[in-house]
Amino acid sequence: MGLGVLASRATRLSGRGNPSRSLFYVRTIVTKPELQSPEASSAAAAPEPTPDLPPRTPLGGARVHFPNPDDAIEVFVDGYPVKIPKGMTVLQACEVAGVDIPRFCYHNRLSIAGNCRMCLVEVEKSPKPVASCAMPALPGMKIKTDTPIAKKAREGVMEFLLMNHPLDCPICDQGGECDLQDQSMAFGSDRGRFTEVKRSVVDKNLGPLVKTVMTRCIQCTRCVRFATEIAGVQDLGMLGRGSGEEIGTYVEKLMTSELSGNVIDICPVGALTSKPFAFKARNWELKGTETIDVTDAVGSNIRIDSRGPEVMRILPRLNEDINEEWISDKTRFFYDGLKRQRLNDPMIRGADGRFKVVSWRDALAVVAEVLHQAKAKEVVGVAGKLSDAESMMALKDFLNRMGTNNVWCEGNGPNPNADLRSGYIMNTGISGLEKADTFLLVGTQPRVEAAMVNARIRKTVRATNAKVGYIGPPTDFNYDHQHLGTGPETLLQIAEGRHPFCSEISNAKNPAIIVGAGVFEREDKDAIFAAVDTIVKKYGNVVRPDWNGFNVLLLNAAQAAALDLGLVPESSESIETAKFVYLMGADDINLDKIPNDAFVVYQGHHGDRSVYRANVILPASAFSEKEGTYENTEGCPQQTLPAVPTVGDARDDWKIIRALSEVAGVRLPYDTVSGIRSRIRTVAPNLLSLEEREQATFAASLKPEVKQKISSTPFKAAVENFYMTDPITRASKIMAQCSALLAKK
Amino acid sequence: MAFRLTGVRVAANSGSLEEARGRVFEFFKSACRSIPQIMEIYNLHDVISESQLRSNIASQFRRNAHITNPKGGRGLQVIDMLVFKGMEELGNIVEHAKQRHHIIGQYVVGQHGLVQDLNPKDDAISPFLNNFYKTNYS
Repeated sequence: MGLGVLASRATRLSGRGNPSRSLFYVRTIVTKPELQSPEASSAAAAPEPTPDLPPRTPLGGARVHFPNPDDAIEVFVDGYPVKIPKGMTVLQACEVAGVDIPRFCYHNRLSIAGNCRMCLVEVEKSPKPVASCAMPALPGMKIKTDTPIAKKAREGVMEFLLMNHPLDCPICDQGGECDLQDQSMAFGSDRGRFTEVKRSVVDKNLGPLVKTVMTRCIQCTRCVRFATEIAGVQDLGMLGRGSGEEIGTYVEKLMTSELSGNVIDICPVGALTSKPFAFKARNWELKGTETIDVTDAVGSNIRIDSRGPEVMRILPRLNEDINEEWISDKTRFFYDGLKRQRLNDPMIRGADGRFKVVSWRDALAVVAEVLHQAKAKEVVGVAGKLSDAESMMALKDFLNRMGTNNVWCEGNGPNPNADLRSGYIMNTGISGLEKADTFLLVGTQPRVEAAMVNARIRKTVRATNAKVGYIGPPTDFNYDHQHLGTGPETLLQIAEGRHPFCSEISNAKNPAIIVGAGVFEREDKDAIFAAVDTIVKKYGNVVRPDWNGFNVLLLNAAQAAALDLGLVPESSESIETAKFVYLMGADDINLDKIPNDAFVVYQGHHGDRSVYRANVILPASAFSEKEGTYENTEGCPQQTLPAVPTVGDARDDWKIIRALSEVAGVRLPYDTVSGIRSRIRTVAPNLLSLEEREQATFAASLKPEVKQKISSTPFKAAVENFYMTDPITRASKIMAQCSALLAKK
Repeated sequence: MAFRLTGVRVAANSGSLEEARGRVFEFFKSACRSIPQIMEIYNLHDVISESQLRSNIASQFRRNAHITNPKGGRGLQVIDMLVFKGMEELGNIVEHAKQRHHIIGQYVVGQHGLVQDLNPKDDAISPFLNNFYKTNYS
């Protein structure tokens, strides 16, 4: 008798009773009789399961922080005991125990609404299933997440939600990353009892960024809570009751927040989707590259989703220290600028004033020849606001080898102070701002200069009622503030103790002073910083061993790294007498200052302002196409990674300078990125410890005395248009629409 | 028009280098014989002359000039395989299984692209610069 015959006999024998149970166990989603009458079955399963479970890992790296060890309570999740601090909700306790509770309305950065009912769990001795997101965990609570009652409750909620939800997943942009889709597969029933007509809701116009299909909305109110709590605009709200409930702007109005794009991410269904991304791609065909945003000095962590050579969309990445899980609208939607106005071939301006495409060999030969004709003192290099540390290092090394040190980064002003690192970075750190209880903003409008820093200040103001004093031109804030004055004389009054705000600073536990980088461009910059230093010294609580409240809020991604690398010009007037100007992506310098007979080389990725003045164009790669180090305003170096290939015949920035140096006969000694990094190690080693904030060691008290007089010119707004600040955003069509519709006039 | 190049069909494996060499020449001749027809089919008269096309084809042969073993390692018959691939390619071309831009891209413009440096002074430059002129990626 062979084995096969034996096996078939065994099958036949056992198959007589219940054929499907023993051998062919297939898990399907069905409604079983036990589920129809859950009370009876839970009563049947009365014997307590022994908590002999292996220790579970908390969900998503959830950490438990006990502010007070006495406040720890113990609850049981599915029989597994967990220790949690008092005040945590049942849902959070389940997360710590490693059980994922389905949810729609609950979001851990928003207030608790408890209206979707998806997170229902069974709690022993409670007559009904409880909404775990809104229920505080009590000592000894026995939570059951996997019982027939909980399962039936979820099935019921899913059935109600799907009753009015359209069946348009195939044409929905959320399809594939939709919470409702996933959870109906996991927790829903296999059939519905709904036969009537589905409800439909009129779509709302929320502006050029957010597309609405309101019929898909399940009224979780995450977007409403996000708008009021985090974005700080009261634009969205809930209208109507019952089945007539709708999300909408109360009046016909666009959503005017610089963070509005985040409602796309928090919407659990496809009601709010990205308008520029609509019907462009499916999310499963995209390649994600984890990289860094360069449109402001915050360095938000982003993921670039690309398909082939095209950037399709940009999403935020979680980084609690920098951007939490939000990004600004500029960061999210400027990517279409990466496809327009790109420079793709080396070009030389001919005698007729028109550009002619040439080979790299010819272009570099021409540049090198002109460079050698100019005197060393007449050579000037300017790095742009999007430059990475590697290329700035190469530019500085190259020009130093040519015998000049006239190299700087735009935005840092004519004579930047690169001596004391504490004088140009945000010493408190972005997440450190949450500890502050009084803010003094000097000449900075964080809402347009660094939207994520502004969100952090707003969070602090909301949580702790921190005081905010502001000196600068009238601007709008999305939190309570006192407008102290418009010019430096208010700063002097505070420094001399003649201002009512002085008592706020001296009474504060952790005061934070934030100076805007727009001050760098002022003539009396040193005097203003001296006045701020006086305030720091006068009120001893601003800078102490355990708290550094002196901050500079930078504007551009390149600024901090440029100052770390020492891109400081020899003389501030060098550009007026220049014969050879090398612009490495610098588009915001005053081109009128360049003399008419100067030879201008523009190396960059966009045909922006400086191209009109350039004699030679060397096409470079944008931040999405290269590996580069950027240091953000709090001094945290981070790296971009190439998401898409370069456009046309463009080359990476540092490679162009390295190649040019060889053609010019002053060959730089590095051929690879790692080579250039070891050169950076000798200049600014902190740029290589990625994602680690290096604190500035010396305080500003070491600064020499300043004899400059403060002028009475009021502070100016550093950023005129939030949506268009650099070559990429200026080339973006979406940003143009935004500035036409949303920018504050 | 069915494709027939009866003379050069690869029968059994080449027994020796001499035999393989003979086959290569046989195949090259048949390719040269097809040139007028190819010029006609793909309308190449205004982009290249017959002799230039012939020398381009010859240079593709010379790219493999260093292969001397009819039987490579582990019994791989490199030359026979290359001849077979070449015949396949020629067959496709003569059968009009390709389009004009395929021919222009591969046999008229060649590997170097449209922009060619007329006076390459590659004697003194570093490998980095050499690679830089070619591509952004190494």
